[in-house]
Amino acid sequence: MSRLSIRGVGKTFAGVNGGAPTQALLPVGLEVEDNAFITILGLSGCGKSTLLRLVAGLEEPTTGEILLDGAPVAGPGADRGVVFQSYTLFPWLNVRQNICFGLRQKGMPAVRQREISERFIGEIGLRGFEDHFPKQLSGGMQQRVAIARALANDPKILLLDEPFGALDNQTRVLMQELLLGIWERERKTVMFVTHDIEEAIFMASRIVVFTRRPGRIKSEVPVELPYPRHYTIKTSPAFVALKARLTEEIRAESLAAAAA
Amino acid sequence: MRGVRLFVPVPRGQRIGLGIAFFVVFVAVWWMLTASGAVPPQFLASPPQTLVAAWQLFAKFDFGHDVGMTIWRVVGGFLLAAVIAVPLGIAMGAWKPVEAFFEPFVSFARYLPASAFVPLLILWVGIGESQKLAVIFLGCFFQLTLMITVIVAGTRRDLVEAAYTLGSTQGGIVRHVLLPGAAPEIAEALRQVLGLGWTYIIVAELIGASSGIGHMITDSQALMATENIISGIVVIGLVGLATDLLFKQANRKLFAWSYL
Repeated sequence: MSRLSIRGVGKTFAGVNGGAPTQALLPVGLEVEDNAFITILGLSGCGKSTLLRLVAGLEEPTTGEILLDGAPVAGPGADRGVVFQSYTLFPWLNVRQNICFGLRQKGMPAVRQREISERFIGEIGLRGFEDHFPKQLSGGMQQRVAIARALANDPKILLLDEPFGALDNQTRVLMQELLLGIWERERKTVMFVTHDIEEAIFMASRIVVFTRRPGRIKSEVPVELPYPRHYTIKTSPAFVALKARLTEEIRAESLAAAAA
Repeated sequence: MRGVRLFVPVPRGQRIGLGIAFFVVFVAVWWMLTASGAVPPQFLASPPQTLVAAWQLFAKFDFGHDVGMTIWRVVGGFLLAAVIAVPLGIAMGAWKPVEAFFEPFVSFARYLPASAFVPLLILWVGIGESQKLAVIFLGCFFQLTLMITVIVAGTRRDLVEAAYTLGSTQGGIVRHVLLPGAAPEIAEALRQVLGLGWTYIIVAELIGASSGIGHMITDSQALMATENIISGIVVIGLVGLATDLLFKQANRKLFAWSYL
């Protein structure tokens, strides 16, 4: 059975100041199986982030329904961990307290919180930074803490909205490897939104390509490359061929968007 | 100025030195005005006369008691205002219907000059301590409520969304996101409004008081003792400066994260 079922989900935003409503997402259907790493690839403003926000429960769909383990999604909750593109660590909490935030909301005993945060601080390689505040961390470190904070809650699915978009290229590649490593160890279901083709291929077990706005699913591309993946895979013929194909698909969309 | 670059901080010693330097310049100009006879002494006492007067006030006329009374009135009225304004402001900032209900009235009441209520308050509550506290309360309360409303309403939405996805309830968000996030700015608003309290207290003490700095100033006016009046004003300034510094220090200690 699918972990996540997206059935005919569309979103239209009401017009601002009496303007015309904006159709962000045409009704889409998508099944995400357990332990999958799905990347959603599309141009900026194509509605891919909207889909992620709908799954997170931060927006309500105009049409359709979203089921997580068979239960309809109604509003945000701890069973869907989210990592945002902007840095959203709580600035008044240090690294450990940020990671424990969700656990504290659950009322988990402090000893247990400590054990879990210990484990994830190790996973993200930030031992020695437990007492640092977000402002004292680099962007990459902040996003690592944000990943740990979401995972500490043991969500059924991890949703990431271009989390490495603001990072420099080298850091971004390291972060992709780190996330992939965590996914392989923790066996989580992941939905990752990006506009970066290489990023989309490198991590995904399946890529969902979006059309230009109003977004709908253009194609679903399985990535047959074996895990664990090393960065050198990016120069393998299979990777390069897939990249060429997706580049064409995305290029067609951007040309059409520019002509519109 | 050449060599002084924008926003570059000055070393601590230099900063304190510059701060004191202006006090010296101020007193020097004051002294010159009085010593040269440009301003007759019955209008403006000289710095030495003021010093002597201050010493005599404290030594012979128990001015310390007056200063103590004034401080207690300001702090008492301010605390009363804060105890109601802080929770009300938070509620108004967090829940829009609460804001819609109170905001227009509070905005209206903010423009009512607290000093204009002195005669009415004497009628209502007499000339005792409650009248003094009431003036300070009126002067601080509405201002403070509005400032806190704006601060809380400005809470970063992405942090609120992150908290929702980490399993926070509405109450959890108020307690663990709105409050800690707004606390440094609320403390700063309290500091500013306490200063406002000082501007109202003298008016409250000018009429119907038997103690306090304002009372001493009214008595001195009858005697044309400008040196006493100036002493009183300078003491207010010094007490204000001292509380301001204490407040700043406390804020820096309590909310170290926001000064990183």
